[in-house]
Amino acid sequence: MPRVNTFKVKVQTGQQGMSEPVHFNFNNHKLPFENVTGSAESGKVFEGSFDVNSFAHSLTLVGPESGKWEIEKITIEYDCENEKPYTVHFGRVTLDETTEVNIWQDAPVLAFDV
Amino acid sequence: MNFMKRIFTGMKQEAKPESSVMAEEVEKSTVAEVSQPEPEPETETPSNFPVVRSVIQISAISEGVFPKDSDEVSIKAQPTPTGDQCLFTVNRPLMKGYSWYFSDFESATESSLAEALFCLDDVEVVLVCESTVTVTRKDKTLVDWIPLAKEVGTAIRDALGAGKGLIAEKIISNLPSEEDIREGIQKVIDDEVNPGVAGHGGNISLLAVKGNSVTIQMGGGCQGCSAADLTLKQGIHTSFRKAVPMVGAIFDETDHTAGLNPYFS
Repeated sequence: MPRVNTFKVKVQTGQQGMSEPVHFNFNNHKLPFENVTGSAESGKVFEGSFDVNSFAHSLTLVGPESGKWEIEKITIEYDCENEKPYTVHFGRVTLDETTEVNIWQDAPVLAFDV
Repeated sequence: MNFMKRIFTGMKQEAKPESSVMAEEVEKSTVAEVSQPEPEPETETPSNFPVVRSVIQISAISEGVFPKDSDEVSIKAQPTPTGDQCLFTVNRPLMKGYSWYFSDFESATESSLAEALFCLDDVEVVLVCESTVTVTRKDKTLVDWIPLAKEVGTAIRDALGAGKGLIAEKIISNLPSEEDIREGIQKVIDDEVNPGVAGHGGNISLLAVKGNSVTIQMGGGCQGCSAADLTLKQGIHTSFRKAVPMVGAIFDETDHTAGLNPYFS
């Protein structure tokens, strides 16, 4: 359970987008992103970040309050304490008012060539 | 600090409507008791309560581990966080569609890959699965995998270069069907494993069988339990391999961080 300093998210929306503000859920606290650029409308790219400075138990991207949000790709850059910054990519997923998607991933285990 | 402030602000904001809804409910029920001696039982959740969303789990997309179209044998070593095992991923198929568990040197007879690995001093157990090899070391006190991993890498390269059958013909020709594996594993789960973990409020379910590899999931008290790894390796693996010797890789797809209140729920 690392301490997350900050994380940046980039979401590529597919055919069905949404016009609501994008929220994430950190340790069951729903919050809006900061430093937002772009949007979550159809075919657009949304970017946002948040200075967390707290320990991560769970982190999810929350679906819209109404309608559906088709996501093509999610890219997250994590900056955690005592870890090298790392990037995680997630693929296609559709969210709605009853769902959220897990975007937390521990830092990759060190691998080396032999 | 900023984040903490927002969390507490958020909590207060969320708490307000909830408490007012609860107060309204109390008032309503009091009124109902006066006017109607037999109030109807509540069947629907009030619409003001926040919806509990379900969390979708999707796998992270792994970027290419090896350079494309390379003729050279490339091997990546990835020690497990527990330090007793190391996963070697090779850019060549080693056992297509199946996996095999080599428990000792005798079990590796005529399997050139496993034979070569058991010739190394510190190798205890070898598991070959598709294009990966998982090696368990004898000396559990050593955490530095680099010296042994290099020897393992050389042994894998030598075995691939020798052109002999990596896995013994007798193993390949006697591989069981998925149905046989499913039946056998489900029987062990029902008769042995689940009655054992039920004492701790846990349960194990068989999610999938691919070739002779199985994927299981831990639930109830096992999910999120600090002893889950011990239960898996010393309890479940042992029971599975004893009852179904042909079973290969055993994957655990439990998300131990998920669930509303794992373990002590």
